[in-house]
Formats: sequence, structure tokens, C-alpha cells
Amino acid sequence: MLKYIVRNMWRRKARTFLTVFGIVVGIFALTVLGGLSARLTQQVNGARSWFTSKISVVPEGSSLFGGGEGYLPLSKVAEIEEVPGVKSAVAGFGLTLTNESSGFGSPELIVGADLTRSSDLLNLVDIGRGRILEEGDRGKVVLGSVLAEKFSAGPGDIVDLRGRAFEVVGVYRPTLSAVDGFAFISYEEALDLFRAANPYFQVEDIAATIDVLPQPGVDMEELAERIRGEVQGVRVISPREAEKQIGQFSLIFNAILLGIAFIALVVGGLSIINTMVMSVSERVREIGLKKAIGAETRSVLSEYLLESSLIGLSGGTVGTALGVVAIVLLNRATASSNVSVFAVTPTVVAGPVLFAVVLGTLAGVFPALRAARLKPVEALRED
Amino acid sequence: MIETRSVRKTYRVGEQEIRAVDGIDLSIGAGEFLSIVGPSGSGKTTLLHLLGCLDAPTSGQVLIDGTDTSTLTPTELTRLRRERIGFVFQEFNLLPVLDAAENVELPLRYMKVHPAERRRRALEALEQVGLADRARNRPSQLSGGEQQRVAIARALVTRPSLVLADEPTGELDTRNTCLVIELMRDLNRETGQTFCIVTHDPLVASYTRRVITLRDGRIASDLPGEEAELACEGRPEV
Ligand SMILES: Nc1ncnc2c1ncn2[C@@H]1O[C@H](COP(=O)(O)OP(=O)(O)OP(=O)(O)O)[C@@H](O)[C@H]1O
Ligand SMILES: [Mg+2]
Repeated sequence: MLKYIVRNMWRRKARTFLTVFGIVVGIFALTVLGGLSARLTQQVNGARSWFTSKISVVPEGSSLFGGGEGYLPLSKVAEIEEVPGVKSAVAGFGLTLTNESSGFGSPELIVGADLTRSSDLLNLVDIGRGRILEEGDRGKVVLGSVLAEKFSAGPGDIVDLRGRAFEVVGVYRPTLSAVDGFAFISYEEALDLFRAANPYFQVEDIAATIDVLPQPGVDMEELAERIRGEVQGVRVISPREAEKQIGQFSLIFNAILLGIAFIALVVGGLSIINTMVMSVSERVREIGLKKAIGAETRSVLSEYLLESSLIGLSGGTVGTALGVVAIVLLNRATASSNVSVFAVTPTVVAGPVLFAVVLGTLAGVFPALRAARLKPVEALRED
Repeated sequence: MIETRSVRKTYRVGEQEIRAVDGIDLSIGAGEFLSIVGPSGSGKTTLLHLLGCLDAPTSGQVLIDGTDTSTLTPTELTRLRRERIGFVFQEFNLLPVLDAAENVELPLRYMKVHPAERRRRALEALEQVGLADRARNRPSQLSGGEQQRVAIARALVTRPSLVLADEPTGELDTRNTCLVIELMRDLNRETGQTFCIVTHDPLVASYTRRVITLRDGRIASDLPGEEAELACEGRPEV
């Protein structure tokens, strides 16, 4: 049966190819975007665990993902620590690892943290090898997993950050989030590096963010509200708000993905329906003959359904395969930046194939029913 | 074995009513070798389709081995067709993407016969029609006469008690016509299967044992045939 169906499809090579090609294009786009979305979801989920386990205090007009130009005076740290329920407020200062942009994804950052009170914050992420930074560490760095891989460095190795040598004391476990691209050093050294890079900027006692951790049992949302009330001139981002900002980001992307899927559905579905209707019309006599010599309605129906799902399957398989190849190539092309742009997860592979098969089968229903309902006499008389 | 009782088939085209088959009483016994002739439009094909349960009569009955076919469900009719009746049509008889053996196997496949058994019987049937060596050829690689013999093999592979052929020689030259008819007659003699052949060709009719002539959907005459002896020139080894 399968052999027969394949031969029938082969008989109309050009048409079958074109139909399959239509599916391939749709499924290819779906796969690549799916890979992008999967990677984004990983990042968002990673970002979620990092950003939602603390309260971030940023300059007014800034957001979780940067934006504003200003800095916070260090005096805010003390102000925040005054607020009841705050366990620690850690001044942080970040600057990019190099002066070049790192392209897509979260940038590679040198993050300086006030080591006198940062132990809780730095323990939010599991340390994989070595240890976290401790008070008094100078010339030491703890690397995120992606950076560790990039430098191929582990504890004891020396790495170069903006021209200055640092000794690696620890490497974090992969979080699939922004943290993977961070190099943690002391706040003072981060500020030094910034000043060295920007000699005309005479900055002193500033922080880019202040990360706040609550005392045990204190509700973070309420705490964020209290900080908002008591500290002026700052923007307080509570975990829930962070969640919302992150969620919005992925929502937009998933809407785009859904749009592409819908277009693939309509275009691919219509072209399969069209092809199958043509197949049925040109094989009317054939169908009549089969029914005359004993084919049951059911077997004609399943034959045509199988043919259309086979179109879907081949288009889906080829499209997905091409999509995965494109993802691998694109990832390789962007390998110089710290994060890969696309992720290949089981869903990214199986999803589009399944989608194409279901699409093919559904598109085949109407033409197959038409074929199955043909009366043998009428079909045989057709010329 | 097959009987019709005042069977009628009318088609309605707009206002006009076409009586393709207009009250036919006919009885065909087991092992007969008969032809149905008549001018174009006289209802031969329609009658054959009624006999083969491909079509339901507007009124009247078709009985096969005493069973009134109007009492059967579509599925039962399909089963009856594939188990007891073999069809040969004038043209477009074979599926182009299947080779000869696969075409012959097709009815057995619908009967869910085991593949090995299916293949064996298909080759046997091809041998009966003298085409064992062409089993792997597609229809496009066979001559018209050979294609028609493959179709006959397919009609025979289920060992039906009745074979209905609609102008099986309509597109064949004299020599191939002769070969095909001779094949059917030999099979009729050897296996006792009933053959009912619709034809335009007086030559074909002259070889049969009984000739039914239709005119305007009615039986005009029902006479014994000449049963002329065939003498096909250049006949291949069968
Ligand atoms: N589906 C249909 N709708 C309307 N009229 C039909 C239909 N099928 C057959 N007819 C008419 O019924 C009559 C008998 O047709 P049928 O095909 O049985 O004739 P026939 O004897 O086989 O002719 P031929 O020798 O040309 O094959 C014809 O007048 C034909 O036009
Ligand atoms: Mg006819």
C-alpha cells in the first residue's frame, strides 16, 4: 500500500515536489523560529530565577534590562539597609567585557559586587567548582559557565579582563541565563576598570544596581513596597514586576511564532488540499476500478489520507532537518559571542514534524472523503 | 446463478427521462459463455453494471444464487463482488503504477490474503493468460492485448464464479481480439466459470454459445450463438 502510494506521488514528481517544498519552507521557518524561541525561553527561565529571587534597585527611568543612563549614589545602599526587613543591599557595578558589542542575547559583563555583604547574593547561583568571592578578595574572579568555557579556564587559572590579570577562584554552574556570561569581581576593581576605560569620567561612589535580599520570612513584594516608600530617586523592581517584564518579552516572541505557524498552516494546508483534490480528480477512474474489484470505502479513504499525511511528513522532515542545519550553522557563525542564538530541544525537532503530519492529514480529509464517496459506476463512466 | 426480474434503470437528465435498461428478465446459468450485443446506447454497459452489483436498479431485482442483492448492505455488496465476480473493462483497466503481478494481486489484497499466497496465485493467473514472463512489467510496457490479458488474469485470480467483461476487445486488433476471446473460452471450458461479454463486435459474438441482443434497453433477441471455432494466427504459447 505504502509502496503504491509513493509510486503515485512519484508519478507526479513535479507537483509533489512543489507541494512538499511549500511545506518545507513553512516548516523550516517554524523550526528556526522555534529554535530561537526555545533559546529565549531558556534564557527567560534562567533570567527568571536570577531576577526573581531578589529585589533589584535601579536608577529611575531604567529597567531590568538596562536602558537608563544614570547611576545610583552609594549612599542609597545605607538608606536601603535602614528599611526594616532588608537583610543585605549589595552595590553592583557592571561593564561590558570588551568594548565591542557581543551581538544577540545578554551581553558578557564584568560585574563588580560589594564583597563586604554579597555572600547571600553570590550564593543565589550554585557554584560548580572552586568557591564564591569573599570579603577582601582582590584580583580574583568567579566566572559564569559560558565565560569559563570561552576562556577555557578553571580555578587557579589566570584570565585577562580588560587588560588586567585576574585569578579564577570559582566557576558557577550553568544557569542558562545572563549570569552565565558574567565575570564577578569586587566592586572596587570593577569601578577601577571602568575609570581606566573612561578616563574623562570621574566617577566615584556610584552603583549601577543595588541588589536587595530580604530577611528570612519577609515578603519580598511588601518589602519592595516599603523601599519604594522610604528611598527616594530610585526604581524598585520586585520579583513580581521582574516576572512581568520578562513575561512580556517572551509573550511578544511567542505571538510572532504563533503567527508564523498560522501562515504555514494556511499556505501549507491549502496547497496540500489543492494537490490532493487534483490527485483525486485525475484518478477518478482508477478509484472506480478499485471499488469495482472490491476495495472498501474505508481502504480508499485511508489510502488518500496516508498520501496527504505522507506529503506532510516529508515536508515536515525535510523542513525540520534544514531548520536544524540552519540553526547549527547560525550558532557556529555567532559562536564568538558568549551565548548561542538558537537552541535545539526535542520540542523544536518533534514539534514541526508533528505539526506537518497533522496538517497533511487534516488537509487530506476533504479530498479523501470525496474519493471514498465516489460511486464505482459514475467513476468508471468518467472520461 | 444470476437472474434479473423486470429490472429497470432510468436516468433523469433535466426534464428528460432516459430508460437505459427498461424491464429486463434474464437468467444466466452456471458455466454459460454468452455475449450481450446491441447498438450504442442500447443499455449494455448499464445492464452489465446491474448484473455486477456496481449499480442499483431503479426498480426490479437482481438475484445472485437466489439472494436478492437489494437486501444487502454496501459492504456486503463489495464483499460479494470481490469474492464471486470478476470484471474486465474496455479501457483503463490496470493501475499504471503497479506492475502486472501487482495489478493481478489487487483483489486478493482487498480480501486480505497473505502476501506470499497472493503472489503465488497472481503468478499462477498470469501463467494462465500466458504472461508469466511479463510479471514485472508495468502496463505502459505491455501491448493493448497483453494489458487486457493481465486484466483477465486479475478477474480470474479470485476464482470468481462469474466474469463480466465490458467490450474487452474494443481496443484490440483482430489477432489480439481472437487471442483474448480464445483465452476466455478455454477458461470457461476448463473451469466452468460463467462468462458474460458485452461487445460491439459480431465476430466476438459469433464465438459465444448464447447471444443476447439489446435494443432501447430491452431484450430484442436471445439466441444460441454460432460457437464458431477460433483460429487465431500466430498464437503464442499459452
Ligand atoms: N449517468 C448517466 N446519466 C444519464 N444517462 C446515462 C448515464 N449513463 C448512461 N446513460 C444513458 O443510458 C443509455 C444506455 O447507456 P449504456 O452506456 O448502457 O449504453 P451501451 O449500450 O453500453 O452503449 P455503448 O455501446 O456506446 O457503450 C444511453 O442512452 C446513455 O446515454
Ligand atoms: Mg457501453
